[in-house]
Amino acid sequence: MESRILQLIAALRAGGVRVSLAESAEAFTAVDLMGIQDREQFRLSLRATLIKDLKDLPVFDKLFPLFFGSGNPPAMMGGNPMDDMTPEEASQLADALRQFAQNLRQRMERLMNGEQLSRAELEALGRMVGLNQVDDLRYQNWMAQRMMRALAFPEVREALKELIEELQRMGMSRDRVEQMRNMIQQNMQGMREQIKQFAGERIAENMSERPRGERMDDLINRPFHALSDADKKVLQNEVKRLAAMLRTRIALRQKRAKSGGLDPKATIRTNLKYHGVPMEIKHKDRARKPKIVVICDISTSMRFCSELMLSFLFTLQGQVRKTHAFAFIDHLESISEDFSGSNADEAIASVLWRMPSGSYNTDLGWSLNDFQSEYMDTLNGQTTLIIVGDGRNNYYDPRIDIFSTMTRRAARTIWLNPEPPYLWHGDSDMRKYAPMCNNVLKVSNLRELAEAVDSLLAG
Amino acid sequence: MIDVFGSTNSVKSELGKQRYIASNEISTIVFLAQKLGKPLLTEGPAGVGKTELAKAIAGATGRELIRLQCYEGLDESKALYEWEYSKQLLYTQLLRDKLNDTLGQAASLTEAADKLAKEEDVFFSNRFLLQRPLLKAILSEQASVLLIDEIDRADAEFEAFLLEVLSDFQVSVPELGTLAAKHRPFVVLTSNNTRELSEALKRRCLYLFIDYPTLQEELAVVRLKVPDLNPKLAQQAVEFVQRLRKGDMRKSPSISETLDWANALVALNASNLNKDVLEDTVSILLKHEADLQKAKRQYINPPPPPKPRPTDDFGRITNN
Repeated sequence: MESRILQLIAALRAGGVRVSLAESAEAFTAVDLMGIQDREQFRLSLRATLIKDLKDLPVFDKLFPLFFGSGNPPAMMGGNPMDDMTPEEASQLADALRQFAQNLRQRMERLMNGEQLSRAELEALGRMVGLNQVDDLRYQNWMAQRMMRALAFPEVREALKELIEELQRMGMSRDRVEQMRNMIQQNMQGMREQIKQFAGERIAENMSERPRGERMDDLINRPFHALSDADKKVLQNEVKRLAAMLRTRIALRQKRAKSGGLDPKATIRTNLKYHGVPMEIKHKDRARKPKIVVICDISTSMRFCSELMLSFLFTLQGQVRKTHAFAFIDHLESISEDFSGSNADEAIASVLWRMPSGSYNTDLGWSLNDFQSEYMDTLNGQTTLIIVGDGRNNYYDPRIDIFSTMTRRAARTIWLNPEPPYLWHGDSDMRKYAPMCNNVLKVSNLRELAEAVDSLLAG
Repeated sequence: MIDVFGSTNSVKSELGKQRYIASNEISTIVFLAQKLGKPLLTEGPAGVGKTELAKAIAGATGRELIRLQCYEGLDESKALYEWEYSKQLLYTQLLRDKLNDTLGQAASLTEAADKLAKEEDVFFSNRFLLQRPLLKAILSEQASVLLIDEIDRADAEFEAFLLEVLSDFQVSVPELGTLAAKHRPFVVLTSNNTRELSEALKRRCLYLFIDYPTLQEELAVVRLKVPDLNPKLAQQAVEFVQRLRKGDMRKSPSISETLDWANALVALNASNLNKDVLEDTVSILLKHEADLQKAKRQYINPPPPPKPRPTDDFGRITNN
């Protein structure tokens, strides 16, 4: 039992749930307390101790039955329609079956008899479709389908359909045919369930055996442009974790920051009630939370980097006073209102849906023009201006004039660029923009991005 | 009333006596939280009875409920303790004569200062310590239930501070020393999930997600709290609310809104949920204009639904 619980925990971790050592220890304590007789209580004690987030609940609900059985009896077979056949009917069936090829006939008979697949057969099927290399539950249905195809399931189904028609033609009674059809139907469903369950269990076991950690470190350091779509999904979870970590750090830093100077006005006001004897000293705000204006390039080349940057900023909302977010490809759009909800993923998805990347020409110059005409007032002496982009303008006018006004209005300007300085040529206007920024940071992978976010909130 | 719950069933029945209907899930996890002595973090949409749960636990165990309502900008002085400056000042004023007596006999300034120093405990004693909920829960003579409501509204800084308190239930007040809890309070935290809580906090808690209730559960709540509503109407009303929740509303109706609605139906003496009654009262359930319009369009005057025609493996249309 213990090893099974450990396997479940390992599989949860592989499925992207953060389970700490303390939590897994607690799961064992809870199981000790509640016992394992009552399956539901057992499930709940594991769930309450291991899962701490709504979005992780489905992962648990999916994995738990794979390790501890679904609690339902195994998939029921419909029964054997040949049990109570008259000899005449049996011979009709035999005739009808004779027209199919040998191997197909055997499979059909098995299905009709309601025989389940043996463990060895399932293993063999799994090996055939490469089930042992799969360690992601999203592939469960797909693997099950491949296993059924390896069993020639579609062909058998077609053949059974023909068989039924044939029997009807041969004059078997209507009720009888209907009864057989239902039974076969149930048997097929049963086998499907069996295969799916097996695939799920096997994948879950593979998940629990997968070594942890290495892959993630590798991904964090891999440049954005070298990431596959699957990697990006994995990374997005990692961003959440990194952001949460950063948030705690920044929050503590802001909390522990040295007190601000004496605030004479507030002090006099509070101490009026003590006859002006300074009993309570008021200080100015402890730490200055930055105000941020971020302008993100979301053209295809920059999209992922911007997306990650936005999810960082979204998660850090509590640590900054105000964020204005803008996105551009060929023109500028304010995307702040998309981030008013609670879910960063949805917010980002809605932005990307509104501004799909196409064969647009990235034009920062024109976007700056948009910014100047509508949003210039968001910049003032307390604002940090952040640009996320590669500064490639497709030879359009870079509008250095607007950019320099912006940098003068903002308290400081930070540019996050995935390209290192030696690549700033061709249609890159980086060399023109860079001298006006307080800081140009190279962010070509997640680690660098996280460091950049940390440093810009350090104030 | 019982001091501690003996089993999950007793959790269920005791909470039931407090007119709180606990599902198996809730009672199991509450029992577990009590056994393990861990804080219980409940999450879920607004109005599903998270706060009620804490109240019911307090009621069932006969413990005092100490509530800390979180909000943006909540800080230690509001949550933990504060020195009552004005009272201290008042005492100094009133005791001035006594002070003069005591200090007047002193021969030198140093002696006076020493004497004053000996008495300073008087001014930094429990007498002048304004206990806020957290300290109250720690110092309470009897075990208590500490409800930290809507923790997601407090700032991350406060959360970090709360962590320290929740991990060992002791606080240090510089003037008094370290104060440790005599009894560990049963801690219930609630969150509406408006922002992610820190991992460290979650790690220290047991997690309970309370979702909207199923039809049966909600019906039971309505029957319990609004006994005057006739059973048939109650059934219809709850079915309607459940349908609304399935729709994509900006704000789904909560249980408390269902109860308000049920009370309204009793007050209006409605005998049937017909179109007029629905149109008149649906605004009790839905608070957004867009939701109201949508509900009127989709549920009160619905277009006839298209019939799906499922087929089985043999391509036949199944009739069910």
